[in-house]
Amino acid sequence: MNRKNPGEIVIALAGQPNCGKSTILNAVAGFRVNTGNFAGTTVSFTETRVHFEGQTFRLIDLPGTYSISSHDPAEKVARDFLLSGQADVVINVVDSSLLSRSLEFTLQLLEMNVPMVIALNMFDDAQKKGIEIDTRKLQELTGAEAYPVVAVRGIGIPELFRAVLKLTRSGFHPVPPVYDRDVEEDIQKLQENYPESLKKSLPIDPRFVIIRLLEMDEEFARKAEEIDPDFARLAVETRRRSAELHNWPEENVFSSHRHAIVLNLFEQVARVHPRSRVGLEERLDRFLSNPIGGFLGVMILFLLMFSAVFGLGNLISGILYGPLAAAGKALGGSFSGITLMIVSGLYQGLVAGAGIVLPYLVPLLLMMAILEDTGLLPRIAFMVDGVLHRFGLHGKSVVPLILGYGCSVPALMATRSLEHPRDRIRTLLIIPFIACSARTVIILALAGKYLGAAATTLIYLGNLAVALGVCFLLSRSGAEADPGIIMDVPRLRIPPMRILLKKIWLRLYEFLAFAWIVIIISSLVLEFFSFVGINRIINGALAPLSSGVLRLPPEIGITLFLGIFRKELTLIMLAQALGTADISTLLSHTQILVLVVFTVLYIPCIATLSTLWKEGGWKLAAGSALLNTAVAIIVAGTIAWTAALL
Amino acid sequence: MTLAEIKEGNVAEIKKLSGGRGLIEKIQGFGLFVGSKVRLERKAPFRGPLLVEDMENDARIMIGRGMAAKVEVEVLESKKSR
Repeated sequence: MNRKNPGEIVIALAGQPNCGKSTILNAVAGFRVNTGNFAGTTVSFTETRVHFEGQTFRLIDLPGTYSISSHDPAEKVARDFLLSGQADVVINVVDSSLLSRSLEFTLQLLEMNVPMVIALNMFDDAQKKGIEIDTRKLQELTGAEAYPVVAVRGIGIPELFRAVLKLTRSGFHPVPPVYDRDVEEDIQKLQENYPESLKKSLPIDPRFVIIRLLEMDEEFARKAEEIDPDFARLAVETRRRSAELHNWPEENVFSSHRHAIVLNLFEQVARVHPRSRVGLEERLDRFLSNPIGGFLGVMILFLLMFSAVFGLGNLISGILYGPLAAAGKALGGSFSGITLMIVSGLYQGLVAGAGIVLPYLVPLLLMMAILEDTGLLPRIAFMVDGVLHRFGLHGKSVVPLILGYGCSVPALMATRSLEHPRDRIRTLLIIPFIACSARTVIILALAGKYLGAAATTLIYLGNLAVALGVCFLLSRSGAEADPGIIMDVPRLRIPPMRILLKKIWLRLYEFLAFAWIVIIISSLVLEFFSFVGINRIINGALAPLSSGVLRLPPEIGITLFLGIFRKELTLIMLAQALGTADISTLLSHTQILVLVVFTVLYIPCIATLSTLWKEGGWKLAAGSALLNTAVAIIVAGTIAWTAALL
Repeated sequence: MTLAEIKEGNVAEIKKLSGGRGLIEKIQGFGLFVGSKVRLERKAPFRGPLLVEDMENDARIMIGRGMAAKVEVEVLESKKSR
């Protein structure tokens, strides 16, 4: 985190997951943040500088948290930041359509006594739901100014910033919640006994610390125990007595008290008008959560997505192909020697990005953004969670896995919506096994042409079985207990095109700035290899694998090596390496099968590896490469040797 | 009776949350407190999660069966599922 510049106002955006913090940031900052209609997209902080009416603001987007306990790592990050006093003002972003639930967090923020403004985001959704909010009353009862906001349309944002500006000048006077008499007496008693030593080592409002202790907060309990064991014991005793008095479990006696206050507050500030009509969205929703309709809907949706992606992709790459090929020819004619090598290397890399990846990536990203922002994703997760669970995966993993059939790169990026690191790593490791469109081309061109439709289908199914099998084995290795799924199912909504385009641009930019550069560099390396004649050396080095394990001609070695750079190169270079266009004259059917299976499963391509590196670190990328190669050798080798021995 | 055991369409009131502080906090974070009224909309096939309507917030939550088994409820209204 940068140090604070003088004259700058630091704003922390705090709120529950999926309340629209990132959308507010987007509304003011332009193309910088990733958001989704999916709980928990913000894993770490994002910060942005914004100028408004002559004032510079530094906006910090804290991870979405349901409460301020120290139990969850994200909650701890958010709380530590808020308690550190680094923020001049906190904007508590509230999902107005879930006002009652959001107020639980608002009250906890009030108890922290940080200067605060309430942004009643998704105000239009609340109105649609029949929730009428009296902002003035909310202000009166909390002491924090509250403003209606519709972040996706930019409504209410200027007012919010003006309120922040005003607050920094006027000072904050919160109206913290007052609990039942017996609870207040408990707090009072602990406040009287509050040790000076604790005040010194924890420069926080004692009332807040006491409430945290009564709420069984582990971190504060440890701190109190360290500094004044007598006081810590008094707090524990007080809590126990209160739990006995109310006959509630110790773990949630305090949060139950707060909940009662929230319900009361909600009743005072909001009026709920029952909705009369059942809208189209709701009817569609009912259909989708019905077992038969749901599966049907999911199937149709995926079919539509696939055909859209492949249809659009083929269309775009078809349009691009002619001019690109002509340009290639022109380049080939006007250079020679080393210059030709460099120019053609650069050109091949550019073409690989522009002609192969981009045409499929852009429609894929569009589909992904639509899935996320409409709220369809949680519904799909709902339908398939049960099945995926058997293989040690989460319902949320389904979208990345499906995107993997298009291209591994966006699929790997899509794993960001998985908040549990274990689920995310597992999904990251499985994606490279799935036959992406480049490998689909290889399957179709080799197996489809020489082995027939039945064998091709079997290869596809076998590929899925291998992916799920690896996943199953991975899940056996982790002994961690599964916490199970719990997530919001937001209302279906039609996202504004502007937001979709921003999101696509952001992810596309990441690809352009990272993966494409890797592709261009590797393409240069490739040209260099063939220029200096390294092909033979590579064939020799790979002979133990190609002819020893896989029982293929050693000339295949270079094509397998090239496939690491771009999977379709294996196919493109095959005819050249074997010196014939009709591969079946040199390879038996078994050998073709082995080649296809091996190519589909072994080391992910460079673009995939570089994305893996970016998403999960170099160790994960290396592990993935090893895992894929090992599985490929085992599966393809078994096929080759079983056929040879039979 | 637990939330995992009631029938589709039933409305129930939450009586107790168990399973340790972390889990309780997580469930409460989604607006499900002792005293909250919920309606079980659907059970996903293949022992998948439950789709629950939180009637106070007019919100829908998907909750795994393991977690739902930690939520003790009392059925208020049993309706035939739609």
